[in-house]
This record gives sequence, C-alpha cells and structure tokens, in this order.
Amino acid sequence: MELYLPVAELSVNWLLLVALGMGVGFLSGMFGVGGGFLMTPLLVFTGIPSTVAVATTLSHVTASSMSGALAQWRKRAIDFTMAGVMLGGGVAGTVFGVWLFSAMRRQGQMDLIVALTYVIMLGSIGVIMLRESLASLKAYRSGVTISRRLVNRGWIQALPFKMRFRQSRLYISVIPPIAIGFVVGALSAIMGIGGGFIIVPAMIYILRMPTNVVMGTSLVQIIAVTAITTVLQATSNYAVDIVLAGLLVSGGVVGAQLGVRTGAKLRGEQLRLLLACLVLVVGAGLFYQLVARPADVYSLSEGVP
Amino acid sequence: MKRVLIAALLLVAAPASAEDLVSGISQDTIQITSNYTGTDIVVFGAIERAQGAQGRGIVVVVRGPDEPMTVRRRDRVAGVWVNRDAAQFEGLPAYYYLASTEPVARIAPAETLRRYGIGLQSLTPSAIGSHHDPEPFRQAAIRYHQRSGLYAENPGSIDFLSETLFRARVPVPAGVTRGQYNVEVYLFRGGEVISAQSTPLFVDATGLERRLFNMAHNAPFFYGLACVFMAMLLGWISSVLFRRPA
Repeated sequence: MELYLPVAELSVNWLLLVALGMGVGFLSGMFGVGGGFLMTPLLVFTGIPSTVAVATTLSHVTASSMSGALAQWRKRAIDFTMAGVMLGGGVAGTVFGVWLFSAMRRQGQMDLIVALTYVIMLGSIGVIMLRESLASLKAYRSGVTISRRLVNRGWIQALPFKMRFRQSRLYISVIPPIAIGFVVGALSAIMGIGGGFIIVPAMIYILRMPTNVVMGTSLVQIIAVTAITTVLQATSNYAVDIVLAGLLVSGGVVGAQLGVRTGAKLRGEQLRLLLACLVLVVGAGLFYQLVARPADVYSLSEGVP
Repeated sequence: MKRVLIAALLLVAAPASAEDLVSGISQDTIQITSNYTGTDIVVFGAIERAQGAQGRGIVVVVRGPDEPMTVRRRDRVAGVWVNRDAAQFEGLPAYYYLASTEPVARIAPAETLRRYGIGLQSLTPSAIGSHHDPEPFRQAAIRYHQRSGLYAENPGSIDFLSETLFRARVPVPAGVTRGQYNVEVYLFRGGEVISAQSTPLFVDATGLERRLFNMAHNAPFFYGLACVFMAMLLGWISSVLFRRPA
C-alpha cells in the first residue's frame, strides 16, 4: 500500500491519497468548486512538504475543472473572449506569484505566507457565504424572495479600453477582467488553488456576467491558470510530484462525478451553508496552527540559501 | 574524509599480534523502488585474536552524505509564530545511525569520540552561517533528524553470535537521501581505537522513480507539461465515462 513519491522523497499510503482525492473531488463536484483550498491543507496535514503540496494540488484542480468545463462546453456556455482577456492578467499574476513563492521560500517565510493567505481568504469568504446562505434560507422559510442588491457599476463603466464580449452580452473595459485574472493567478501560485471561489463571485458581482456563462468561463480560466502554474512550479521550484498528482487526480475525477450527482439533489442554499461551514472549519484549523505554540519552535529545511 | 584516513592509518599501523577487526555488510547498495518503505541492513564483523570482552567496545556507525541545511527559530510576533532567526549548517550528515556495545560515553572519552565523529553529540558542522549562538540550532537539527528517524543512537544493540562474531541491524527509513553512505566499524580497547574499518554503501533510486526524479530536475518544462497533460486527459476520460446517456 506504500508508494514512494520521487519528488517529495517519501513513502505514502497510496490508498489514503486516492481516497483523499476522491473525498475532495466529491466535495468539489457537489459544491462546484475546484477543491484546491481543501486539498493543499489536507496534504500538509498528512506530512507532504507544503511546497510540494501547493505545486501538486494544481494538477488535481486542472483535472476536476477539465471534466466540468467539457460539460459546459457541450452546452456552449463558455465565453472564450472573456476567458482569453482574463488569462492575459492571469499569466502575469502567475509569474508574479511563482516568483514571490520562490523568494518567500528562500526567506523561510513560505509556510507563513501560505497559511496567512489561507486564513484571510477562507475566513472572509466563509463568513460572507455563511451570512448569505443563512439569509436566503430564512427568506425561503418565510416565503419572501429577496432581490440581490445591485453593486453600483459606475466606476467600471468609466474605465477606458472597452471591448465587446458577445457571449456575455457585455461591453466593458478590459481592465477589471485583467485585474481579476492577475489576482487569481498570483493566489493560484501561492495557495495551490484554481481560484474558483474568487473568480465566480467576481464575475457575477463585479463584471455582472450572466450566470449561465459564469461557470464554464471560470472553469476555462482555472484550467489555463493551473496548467501554467504547474509548468512554472515545475521549472522554478522542482516541486511538482507527478506520482502524487496521478494518485490525487485518479481519485478526484471519480469523486467529482459522484459529487455532482449528490449536489443535484440538494438545494443551493443548503449547499452554500455546508460549504461555508467547511471553509470556516479549515480556516479555523489553519489559524490555530499559526497562533498555537509549536511543539518545537525550531524547524529545518534542506539547503542553504 | 579525514576520519577515513585516520581509520586507514590505524589499519596499517596495527601490530600483528593485536586484536583486529573484519567487517562486512549484508548489501552494498540499497535500491529505492516504488514500494520502498525503508529496509534494514545488517553489519557484521569478527574480532581476530580476541582478548576478552573486558575493556572492549565496538561501535558501528552508518553515516549518510553531507547535507546542507537551514534551521530556523520561530518567535511570536503579534500573536503569530513567525520564523525569525536562522542558522545554516554544512557538513552535517543526512543520515546517522550508531550501534554500540554500551553507551559511547563509557567506551571512550569525549575528545576521542569527537575526533572520530562518534555519537550524535560529536556531529559538528564544517561551516556555520549564523548571527546567533549556533549551539541551540545544532541541537534542534539533531532533534529534528531524530524525530524523522534519520539520526539514531542505539547503545547495546550489537548482538554477539559467539565470543568474536557480532552483528548490528541498521534501519534505513523511507526518507533517506540518495548518495554514498559509509559504514564504519570501530574496535575500542581501553578508550582508544585499535582497529577500524569503513565500507561504502550506496543508496540510489532505480527504475521509474529514478527516471521521474531525473526528468523533474533535468527537463522540468516537459515534466510540468506531462503533469498538465495527464491531469487533462484523466479529466476528459472521466467526463466521457460518466456522461449520462441522454
């Protein structure tokens, strides 16, 4: 049951990792997220070095996004123009993120940056989702339909370099999509995530894209960003473990398909409430590790900078 | 290197009538394969012209390749534990296992042990880069390796099969580094080394593991592409397999 990982240079129980991939894949299929934010911390908990965990989780996200994107593509629900423009910012963000990752690793602050980014992102997203889903559950029970408050789009309309996005029926400046792409690209490199939980809200609330194309377009964007980040992580940090990736992906794609089926049976608000709790639990766990006194205040890493 | 030279000199210098040592290992290479979970090697030896167990000590040391390492100390900053001070060490081994007939402090004086690099407390880095007192950092490095099973000191773990024939079982865990290891066997009498032998042991990855590791380091771009391609392919296959018949 033990399998040697050539890049991580340790033996792991391969069944455990396939099961981990399947479990995270199940959740990601159910909630429609990539699952990177769960996979990276879980891999670190099982003893995989965090650099390898961050760089290898990306492949898991690529694979689960791929199978989702193909389904959306069959429905013609992808805005490739928008995805292309966002990717412009995404590539720049990825390069910046991988550079930052290497620099932090040399400084010995990589774990801290990863953990801090996770705590902040998971904490804020979790709280927002929790409030939103509780409000809509309450509204559902009392039979009131709440209309979402529209974000004022004035400042976005005022930006230059406008472009027509036919599939999204939008005529907006390219600056916000590029900026969103950049942020997600950078986070992808630092956190080992696809960034779906940032892109999707950004597309809906900032760009005001129609919801039917949001899912497919974000998945294409995620595939591209995670693919580029994987190659960059492989070339600049030698941190991608192909055996580990294979194990996670094999479990992940099966889990994702099962998750999609289960998710279809649950209501949206309930799903978001569950996901919010999950996000907050992971965030709280990481926060605890940051502030609790470590078992040994000394830590060791190979190599001298 | 210095230690090996000393050992070699001792071998040449030993007078013909004195006790002498012959040793060997059960295997001279360890192959890391895909199902490698650690293994044991057996170091065995015989004492020639033995003069009784009284005042005699045997020490078996297996030493891995030197590994540069950075040790960092965390301090609490604004409630969060942050890496602050650091020390860089060169010349500490990646693996160190010691088996002996009794605790090494009882076999020889500390100075002799330090000269031969015997015992965890004798492990001294050849170069230190630090602005602080390096000693706690060195202790932390030893502790860290002990926790991961890469450093161990196991007094009393040498089995005597007869008056003169002995063996020691050396565990080589899964997390070992590739490279050349050295198996050193020392024969002490009256606190002095009277005979010593050193045998190389090679730890290397074979087959697919080796090819993947080499590819990740020599052709990282194509290795990365291969990962992406594999992920996309598996994603595509799963979506085809699980597509519901419409």
